[in-house]
Amino acid sequence: MKRESLFMTRIYPVFFMVVVTVVFISVVSGIYLSTKERVLLNESIFQKMAILYAAGIDFPEGKPQEIQGIYEEKVMEVEASAGGDSQSGAEAGDGEPAYYEVELSAGETGYVVFTSGAGLWGEIVAAFGFSRDLSTLTGIEFVEQNETPGLGARITETWFKEQFRGKQGPFVLVEEGTADDANELDAITGATRTSNAVLKIANEVFEVAEEKIGGGR
Amino acid sequence: MPARGKAKKTFFEPMGKNNPVFAQILGICSTLAVTNKLENTVIMSMGVLFTTSLSGFTISLIRKLIPSRVRMMVETLIIASFVIIVDIILRAYVPDIWKQLGPYVGLIITNCIIMGRAEAFALNNPPGLSLIDGISSGLGYSYVLIVIAFFRELLGTGEVWGITVFGDWWTNWSIMIMPPGAFFMLAIFIWIVKGVLMRESEEAAK
Repeated sequence: MKRESLFMTRIYPVFFMVVVTVVFISVVSGIYLSTKERVLLNESIFQKMAILYAAGIDFPEGKPQEIQGIYEEKVMEVEASAGGDSQSGAEAGDGEPAYYEVELSAGETGYVVFTSGAGLWGEIVAAFGFSRDLSTLTGIEFVEQNETPGLGARITETWFKEQFRGKQGPFVLVEEGTADDANELDAITGATRTSNAVLKIANEVFEVAEEKIGGGR
Repeated sequence: MPARGKAKKTFFEPMGKNNPVFAQILGICSTLAVTNKLENTVIMSMGVLFTTSLSGFTISLIRKLIPSRVRMMVETLIIASFVIIVDIILRAYVPDIWKQLGPYVGLIITNCIIMGRAEAFALNNPPGLSLIDGISSGLGYSYVLIVIAFFRELLGTGEVWGITVFGDWWTNWSIMIMPPGAFFMLAIFIWIVKGVLMRESEEAAK
């Protein structure tokens, strides 16, 4: 058996590991930095699309610049302020806006708030749109969810989200495909726990909205 | 000529009798997890294909420099780098699919197929051959997953790639898109391949 030198057994592996690590981390960091702006833009557009969708405003999908334009025209970000004067907080600062004031149609104002709750596997975050008196939903969009693909994750399908438009809480769940009253929501067959989680979030959001917007209105 | 023969063998073995999924039973975690929707499966397969081929190639390039006692650390580092690159690119260019795949992309790092091929093949073979081996291992993994995902999505939702195939008469087999469905489909797949197709070739070989 040949004894290897101290250099080959101790120093070289450490040296090699350091070099390899530096090289690969540099490459990964470089790619990360070069796409960072794009990722941030994606996220901001994603958020804006959610707000517009929840408010029921049409926008062309996949055209970030037009979405940006519509958003700037229709949506005003309102920060939480003790005074409750929505005008004073119109310019968005550092923090997340407390709620969004949306011009639904000429002279008609609505609001969008973000809220979250526990789903089956993880947190569900959604944007809810409200009419001016906070009694009727104008729509809903899920921003974050980790429900079972094909079952609970069907909450992100259009038919499920569209059913919230014009609905008034408190809601009850009915069998998939049978909701017609203003307080009835279609549940998803095979995803009872997710349906219940969404029901809970939807019933609680009215209070959240009242709390956030109540003073600013 | 023998080089070409070896390349051919390297390419076709992981497709059939040495398939990573149904012969070596590797990468089962992701096989079970992502196969309930065809679209997600295809993106996942592309991620694995990219990682197996490029990590095999890279490890093979520096195989003579890697000290054997830290080789696994080096392999993991290289594999992880490629996976993170996949993750970053998906996040920047197809954010919708990135959101759906969630943690699974990161979990490619722990896919045994990639580590297995690095250990068993890339460390002992030249870069070109390792690249071929990586591509074919990735493809061998992909086609099994795509077949499983096709049937799971079809039976579980009546759709393929989100397009309705069966009409209203079809009752969705919800169990197919839940985790147990993956075990059933994979077992049936292995049963058919090993029990019917591979038995014939074994008998022919005798």
